[in-house]
Amino acid sequence: MAVANNELEKVIIQSVLEELAKKGLLSNKSKDHIMSTTMLDTPQFSNNSSEEMVTFPSLDEMQISKPFNADAVKAMKKSTPARIGIGRAGTRPKTLSWLRFLADHAVAQDAVFLDVSDEFLKQNDLMSVQSAVTSKEEFLTRPDLGRRLSEDAIKTVSDKCEKNVQVQILVVDGLSSTAIEANIPDLLPSLMQGLKSAGIKVGTPFFVKYGRVWAQDHVAALINCDVIVSLIGERPGLGTAESLSAYMIYRPDKKTVEADRTVVSNIHKGGIPPAEAGAHLADVVQQILTAKASGVKFNQQK
Amino acid sequence: MPEGNIQTITSVGIDIGTTTTQLVISRLTIENTASGTFVPRVEITDKEVIHRSQIYFTPLSDRNLIDAVAVSKIVETEYLAAGLAPDKIDTGAVIITGETSKKENAKAIIDALAGYAGDFVVATAGANLEGIYAGKGSGAAAFSAQRHQVVMNIDVGGGTSNYAMFHEGKAVGTTCLNVGGHLIEFDPQGDRITYIAEPAKIVLHSTGQRLQVGERMTLPQLRPLVKAMATCIVEVLKPTKQSELTMELLMTPPLQINHTIRKVMISGGVADYVYAPQGPVTMSEVTVFGDFGPLLGWELKNCLEAAGFVLEKPNETVRATVIGTGTQSVNLSGSTIHLQEKTLPLRNVMVISPFPVTIPETVQGIGEAIQQEMLRLQVIESEGSVALAMKGPRTMSFANINILAEGVLLGMEKYLSQNKPLILVIEADCGKVLGQCINAHTNRPLELICIDQLEVENCDYIDIGKPLMGGRVVPVVLKTLVFNR
Repeated sequence: MAVANNELEKVIIQSVLEELAKKGLLSNKSKDHIMSTTMLDTPQFSNNSSEEMVTFPSLDEMQISKPFNADAVKAMKKSTPARIGIGRAGTRPKTLSWLRFLADHAVAQDAVFLDVSDEFLKQNDLMSVQSAVTSKEEFLTRPDLGRRLSEDAIKTVSDKCEKNVQVQILVVDGLSSTAIEANIPDLLPSLMQGLKSAGIKVGTPFFVKYGRVWAQDHVAALINCDVIVSLIGERPGLGTAESLSAYMIYRPDKKTVEADRTVVSNIHKGGIPPAEAGAHLADVVQQILTAKASGVKFNQQK
Repeated sequence: MPEGNIQTITSVGIDIGTTTTQLVISRLTIENTASGTFVPRVEITDKEVIHRSQIYFTPLSDRNLIDAVAVSKIVETEYLAAGLAPDKIDTGAVIITGETSKKENAKAIIDALAGYAGDFVVATAGANLEGIYAGKGSGAAAFSAQRHQVVMNIDVGGGTSNYAMFHEGKAVGTTCLNVGGHLIEFDPQGDRITYIAEPAKIVLHSTGQRLQVGERMTLPQLRPLVKAMATCIVEVLKPTKQSELTMELLMTPPLQINHTIRKVMISGGVADYVYAPQGPVTMSEVTVFGDFGPLLGWELKNCLEAAGFVLEKPNETVRATVIGTGTQSVNLSGSTIHLQEKTLPLRNVMVISPFPVTIPETVQGIGEAIQQEMLRLQVIESEGSVALAMKGPRTMSFANINILAEGVLLGMEKYLSQNKPLILVIEADCGKVLGQCINAHTNRPLELICIDQLEVENCDYIDIGKPLMGGRVVPVVLKTLVFNR
């Protein structure tokens, strides 16, 4: 029997064989034999597998049909994650580009709507507290509630966290739980190692669910630390949903404004690699401690 | 902006070729182009040539001996003309090129000059490097990046033609042919032969001509010879099998042609005649500099055009190599630098690559691979420092970076016990974290330079200069073996 090399062909052969076997016209043994000779040793589909994973060709693939200068398109595509050099079908994008766009949009939505898993928090030894927000919907519609801790969280932090440390680190889901799961396992230990080597007293990092950047001000007030660092998921884009930012502030208080925060953004495997970012952040935190200032005031001192 | 975000350094390039010796002094502006608290990204943002020397004939005390004293006099004179003392020069390179580098005494010349020309000037040579510097100086490298087109730069000098093919700004192929405009010498503007170099004799043999020093040569006699040379230069660019003559004249393995070559740039002393509106018509026009360079340029142009290549005009012709040497020999690299000020500069640091294929998975494996390579190269017995070059950790995970750090410390234990600095050169973007991990895993105070995002493929030695930009970066010059031919 000829080896089936076409996916559709395989699927047809498999369904026919299964149908024959069901009707008793073919023994299971011969069915398996025929399937393996047609390279179907793993069943291609079963009746309930309507949600199959789809793999797109790599992003840097040239999709312009007759490029004048293919090298130029390649070089430009290399310089940006934007959807350039994707060709067109009449006035519209090609099917593949359009599907990829939809898929990337879905990834971005997942990053916002999914939660950081309990298993992940356990693996990374992160205690979890929640902001004053009670649900994902409320988190998205009420930014003000995401900026402070819930009553329970205030109690937990006050009871369990070490006070008067030099540095406290928070892991905050923000707008991308995907970013947290992708970066924290390499970023956090690297940052902790850097701070410890420098002899800095660091509190045990913990996780804030439904948190926004300002939640760090509330935590800092509770535990009286010098510098508080929030590692927070960035609003996902169509380029990546894995980007994470570090917001750092020296002794926030009621007069704190956004310009008082120092931020290092674009931490992900295509930007600043997370482990390298950890070492860099350790440096920045040390500088902030020395300068006793963050944000614009810190930059002016440098 | 905060201090230390912009700085200028002065770089010198000295090119001692078969025929001419030149010098340029450039001012390089280096700048941290990353804003605020982002990871610093220090780049050379501007290159300005502030002094171009006269073009001197290379001083030779006899046919095979460069006059060291005269060369250093030239350097001294030109520094004076530029108003700069040697100690004001931060970096740079002396490149000994073409036929000259084959001559036995060249090393002594380089040594004499390195002491003369500032604190951190490196000596370098090698046909391939020469071709690359010429292509960077002529503008071919920039052309290939801006137009996204493959361009071949051929630097045709007095003794050799150095080829470098550029794709997206990077050199992707080099070779060198023993053909140049000064292989036969004449009385200036005359027709009496005063010298015939060995490669010219080979070509003469192939054209069936018999000529001796002292004889007179006519333009109809000279033309077929020069045409044959030009044909060889063009033949190198073709993917077809090359003639015996071309093979004989090649000084390196032939060019690996992985790209279609259409655009060609010619630099070097002969280049001005390639781009001239008309060729020389009398013998005295040909031998205006006591050689046949003008005719070679003209014949090369005809030959290239006949073969269907498109000639592009370079920004620099006769000065391409020296400008490339002065402005392009320095790489700036930064990351983790824990060093005492006096440790730098470090010269002739041997580069060793203990993981040619893949990096082992375990600390033990990494350590053993390093130990073996150190043993093979007898590093412990030698005086100098070494740099460990690698692509990066197995993956960019923190765990793998730690394994690499521990492996390096294990493999380098003996070396480090000699109180030598630990120098790492990595291609991946992880210099800071690797440095941090190494410091976390060691119990002795280390002198550590961890340089990332730098490729040192095909490089035998590096020189590391004094740190710049408040200690955040060091200038690194990559060198191939000085006399590898």
